[in-house]
Amino acid sequence: MSTIIKTIRENITRPWGLWLLFLGALMFTAVIAGLSVFWFGLSITNLTDLVPWGLWITIDLSSIAVSAGAFSLCAGVYLFGLKRYAPIARTATFVGLIGYTMAMLALILDIGRPDRFWKSLVYWNTHSLLWEVTMCVMLYLTVLLFETMPILASFEWLRRKYPRIAEKMEQVHHYAPVLAIIGLGLSSLHQSSLGAVYGVIKARPIWYKPEMSVLFMFSAIVGGIALTLLASMLSARLTSKAKVNDILVERVAQFLGYLMIGYLYFRFWDWLAQTYTYEPGRTEAFELLTKGTLSFNFWFGEMIFGALIPTFLLLYKPTRLSPFWRMLSFAMVVGGVVAFRYDTNLVGLLTVISYLPGEAAISYTSYHPSLVEWAAGLGIISYGLLAFSLGVKYLRVVDHRLVSGEHETVQVNADETVRA
Amino acid sequence: MTENNFSRRDFIKLTAVGVAVAAGAKAITKVEASTGAQGEHQWAMVIDQSKCTGCDQCNLVCHAHNDINPDIQWNKVINAGEINGKMVYLPRPCMQCEHAPCVEVCPVGASYYRDDGIVMMDYDKCIGCRYCEVACPYDARSFNWEAFTGDNPAVPEWGEPEVERRPRGVPEKCAFCYNRIDRGMAVGLVPGVDAEATPACCVACPTGARAFGDLKDPNSNVSQILRAHPCYRLRENLGTNPRVYYLPVTEERVVEG
Repeated sequence: MSTIIKTIRENITRPWGLWLLFLGALMFTAVIAGLSVFWFGLSITNLTDLVPWGLWITIDLSSIAVSAGAFSLCAGVYLFGLKRYAPIARTATFVGLIGYTMAMLALILDIGRPDRFWKSLVYWNTHSLLWEVTMCVMLYLTVLLFETMPILASFEWLRRKYPRIAEKMEQVHHYAPVLAIIGLGLSSLHQSSLGAVYGVIKARPIWYKPEMSVLFMFSAIVGGIALTLLASMLSARLTSKAKVNDILVERVAQFLGYLMIGYLYFRFWDWLAQTYTYEPGRTEAFELLTKGTLSFNFWFGEMIFGALIPTFLLLYKPTRLSPFWRMLSFAMVVGGVVAFRYDTNLVGLLTVISYLPGEAAISYTSYHPSLVEWAAGLGIISYGLLAFSLGVKYLRVVDHRLVSGEHETVQVNADETVRA
Repeated sequence: MTENNFSRRDFIKLTAVGVAVAAGAKAITKVEASTGAQGEHQWAMVIDQSKCTGCDQCNLVCHAHNDINPDIQWNKVINAGEINGKMVYLPRPCMQCEHAPCVEVCPVGASYYRDDGIVMMDYDKCIGCRYCEVACPYDARSFNWEAFTGDNPAVPEWGEPEVERRPRGVPEKCAFCYNRIDRGMAVGLVPGVDAEATPACCVACPTGARAFGDLKDPNSNVSQILRAHPCYRLRENLGTNPRVYYLPVTEERVVEG
């Protein structure tokens, strides 16, 4: 007991201790907020029958989106044979596991009957996009658990105490290519289906379009890669436990820049398709985005700082080579994806279409998350930051020196091209 | 490298087998989308707007019979403007759509079709995700943000509760008083003809603005009314095929009334 107190006393004034204290305080507040939601019900949120999905759904959608680095980078490393990026894929996998558990936490808070969560696995309506998403997310979470086993096996305590279990967990690495294929399949399905959750709703014309799936998929990939790289670079700056190979990160950053051009192309195309004709409900919703209450989010969050500026910064060599501008670009891409999820969810709900006969009457409603929603939401984010920080400190989650040592299937040097 | 190839090939084989098994299972079970339009009866409601005075009595008996929280309305009576100085109202129950978005989107199948076309809610199965609320084009669903624990102000003046109260955390909606239909038919009554077997709102309407009956029976009152009068349904362009029909207020019908 006295040793614990001593450790706490030694660490409390250091940056690490303060960081833990800060996250701990936010998580403690969130636990209180979460318990009061379970006790008093969702009536203490600012959600209404007109806006039944709000901040927590945004956190749910965003954490799944920015976890997409796991499947895209694992596919690159284990399927396209870009082995030297394996350490980045390792980080992405860990980020993915955290992101999906964050999404689960947000969902448990958001559903009206958290006690019946298991029913979503037992009772199936195969027509429902949300059923498809539930199934894929649960299966993919299992895949992620397997994929992170070799990472968890590097926990020093586990190695010492249960060496045989640690060894077994490490051996899961042999199945990395198979897991990458399954992960690619499941992720492609549910990342795009999350867009389709909105895309199939005919009653809300701003959502009702097939490109919803494409936009969700594409934005998830850029957001996922950006978050993985940002987390890696930031860790390497803040602690000696993390080591990045700047050449690797810079190459992926350039690739991300090209992906951003693809993303911008799809957004532009989606935009043009909406401006040509008047359609009741859709046009008004689009105006809410470009001129109304969501316009700041849309222009600055999604477009200017979320897509245009980072694309330029990532493709312009001097800024890409500068760690500061590169990290800033990654942060902006992640922010842009989160803003896109927030706006997409709200724009369809805030535009209320009358069902009375005759000319469609359109009105707007409003939504601002309540204090409870913010407290619980920030707590979920803090959990993610804490889990990642612990991973960096104890599991060597960001360590680009682990080039090929742990991967048993192929022995290659970092600068060697691999032929299948 | 070779190991890598093997695992890939094995995986493809495994996938092929998996797909074949799945296809086989599909052929055997033959899962088909049911819309509830195949049943012996097809219940429908016809609301004559020229007779509706907006008195809200349908809404009050609805609250009593279905034991609804005063904050929630299954059968909202909406002010729909005026024609020739006369106010026009539009009562909005659940449309009982033939292609109901709420049924399609429900991840657990808590919303489902009955054979007679009524869109039902299994309040014990629902997880409270509210996707149905987001999908419904008619705002016909209301979420129980809190538990309804107090007295029901509509009871006993407007009737006695006939169904259980819904718990906190699930959305609820009108189901054409399916309990009255079932209980009535069990003793040989005809819904739409005998009051005990007819939705409470239709029975309570003091001006007879609401008719209820079987669309499959050409001689039922709803079939006859729909043959004789022009009618419309809400947001028909969405293809939901609602089973609630409205007879519009026209200038000559205002004069008639």
